Amino acid sequence: MSSTTFSAAVPNRPRTLVVGSALATSGVLVFFGGLFALYFSRRADAMAWGMEWFPEGAIRLPPGGMNMATMALSAITMMWAVYSVINSDRIHSYLAMAITAVMGVAMLNQTVFYFNDIALPIDHSEATTFLFVIVGAHMAMVLVGVFWLGLLLLRALGGQDTSRNRDLVSAAALYWYAAVAVYMVIWLGIYIAK
Amino acid sequence: MTETTADTIRTGDVVPTALEAAVTTTDHLRIGRAWLASGVLLLVVSLVAGLMVSAERMDLTGMAVFGDVDSLFRFWSAYRVGFVLLAVVPVFVGLATAVVPLQVGASSIVFPRAAALGFWVWVLGAVFTVAGFAIDGGLGTPGAVSRTDAVALTLLGLLMVIGGICCATVCILTTIVAGRTAGMDLSRVPLFTWSVLVAGSIWLVTLPVLAANAVLIYVDLTGRSAIAFGVEDTIWGQLSWAFSHPQVYAFALPLVGIAGDIVPVAARRRHGNHQALLVLTALIGVLSFGAYAQAAFDIGTPVREQAVFVVEAFLIVPLALLVLVGLVDVLRRGVGSRRTRMPAPLYLSVLSVFLLLDGMVLGALRAVAPLDLLERSTTGAQFTFTIGAALLAAIAGTLWWGDLIVGRVAPQGFGLASALAVAVGIVLVAVPDTISGFMGLADFTGGDRGGAGNPEAGVDVLNTVALVGSAHLLVGALGWLVTGVLRLRGARSLADPWGAHTLEWSTSSVKVTSESPLLDAAVEVGA
Repeated sequence: MSSTTFSAAVPNRPRTLVVGSALATSGVLVFFGGLFALYFSRRADAMAWGMEWFPEGAIRLPPGGMNMATMALSAITMMWAVYSVINSDRIHSYLAMAITAVMGVAMLNQTVFYFNDIALPIDHSEATTFLFVIVGAHMAMVLVGVFWLGLLLLRALGGQDTSRNRDLVSAAALYWYAAVAVYMVIWLGIYIAK
Repeated sequence: MTETTADTIRTGDVVPTALEAAVTTTDHLRIGRAWLASGVLLLVVSLVAGLMVSAERMDLTGMAVFGDVDSLFRFWSAYRVGFVLLAVVPVFVGLATAVVPLQVGASSIVFPRAAALGFWVWVLGAVFTVAGFAIDGGLGTPGAVSRTDAVALTLLGLLMVIGGICCATVCILTTIVAGRTAGMDLSRVPLFTWSVLVAGSIWLVTLPVLAANAVLIYVDLTGRSAIAFGVEDTIWGQLSWAFSHPQVYAFALPLVGIAGDIVPVAARRRHGNHQALLVLTALIGVLSFGAYAQAAFDIGTPVREQAVFVVEAFLIVPLALLVLVGLVDVLRRGVGSRRTRMPAPLYLSVLSVFLLLDGMVLGALRAVAPLDLLERSTTGAQFTFTIGAALLAAIAGTLWWGDLIVGRVAPQGFGLASALAVAVGIVLVAVPDTISGFMGLADFTGGDRGGAGNPEAGVDVLNTVALVGSAHLLVGALGWLVTGVLRLRGARSLADPWGAHTLEWSTSSVKVTSESPLLDAAVEVGA
């Protein structure tokens, strides 16, 4: 009599890395949410009293706009990376992740250059303290994302980021999209609304 | 055929030293024990600060203990921060790290290395925080006489403490959300797991806001000259929302789950309506969100006089009352059928819910504007009731699940005596503070006689009672510490000492030995 052996059923669990990343990212978003809430309430208070918030001409739109464009494009390349990994397209995975990381570095570089350029002291006013804290915290967030992408690239080169093992890429993508979303609020709230 | 070489086997047989094992462990039981031990030790430190503050209140004009108002304020704020973030919350995190994975049938915590990282970041942060307070730092003083670098160290420590707790919370929540065994949907999870899920979610959406406050203060303080957030006499005002109503309820919330798990097993009766308790716990969690109730958002009407704050304060009371009624109902149905004595954790856990309810009633009274209790010592009384209740439940939890976490038996009578000392201490501190608050005693009695209310009316006598209460709290905490030490020397425990037949007593832990830290794919059963 012939017999057939079946392997044990794999429990159908949600993807732990994605869930964990979503929870951690939500904590980071709440951190920025707290900063933005304080920023906008203090700004509204200052405006209500007719006080100057940022010094005239200190915040210029072009650098912020360039950074926003860079981050928006990096969101697209991140989607490209996830799509490529799902389809086991290794070459495009390398390309997409590398371009996303380079865009992150470019954004950091532009921000550092801009802050050196405007030369606003951190203790000029409450507004400049907020500016340094919010933008600095976002730079730290992007830096973590760039390191994460570097790790993913190394794993991809080792053949570990495949369609069957894509959770780390999805988790990184979730984090990166959050970084782009945070920058969008910075762009709207600080660079445009000033 | 694949052969296993001798080398491969030998690497697994290397026995690490105790230090190596402690530092490198990914065993959720070990990590849980580390949280518990550190939390209890730092509880003792916090309560010593509390006792000294109570002693100083005996004669505020003399300043016999601290010598000046600023040192008194430093210890006063250290007591509140330490009691919550260095003691009660870490003990809950430790219990959850050890018990929750087993309750949901996950065998181990998800991301064990991140869970260990969370603990070590918290420990380092706790050391920085305590050191910062000890070297004339802290979280600001009324006289602005602290050392700037020491204040910065305290803030850095606070940030690391928050980071560690959040990291550990993410691991626990991921275990609950994504690591449950097949067939266990969220409506079936044990109440402790559910309360940790709710409380952890609230921690994750409030503690980062506290971190945002702390970062702003830190940057302003260490900039060239502090202009707004880092100005020393304003620092505590920016952070104090985390240590008063309604945020304190979020820190105490796991006590509902501890009581909810202990009572039915001890009384040998099921909950009348498990789903209703889940909903009540979730509602209490939602109402305990307190990140909005900070002075920074006082534009026009102060937040604490706005409708949302007042409604929240009143709405939470009947919810806690319903939880208590549900537990008492289970007890009532179970009393007649049980032939043996009820275990100590049962009494303690029900008492903790009762004390939490007291804290919530006091919170509601504080929201009544004509009573003018917001800045009075009722704030401290509410803190003591709520966080004290959490402490009592934590003791009950360690007495209940300690056999599982340590594998050895503790002297339950000694543990019960310690917990009763804590309970008496809570009442002796909180009740006089409540009465003193109605008599006009300020929350922080900064050395001026006016702030101390009306001494002739009996506030001094009440302060004496509160001092006795603080001593009781400290003795109880020391007793809890000794109970833990005695447990380490105790006999080996039974597999299911309470006859609970619940999942945590029948699931084995597994040791994660993966070489891929972020994936933790391979596991080795046993150890």
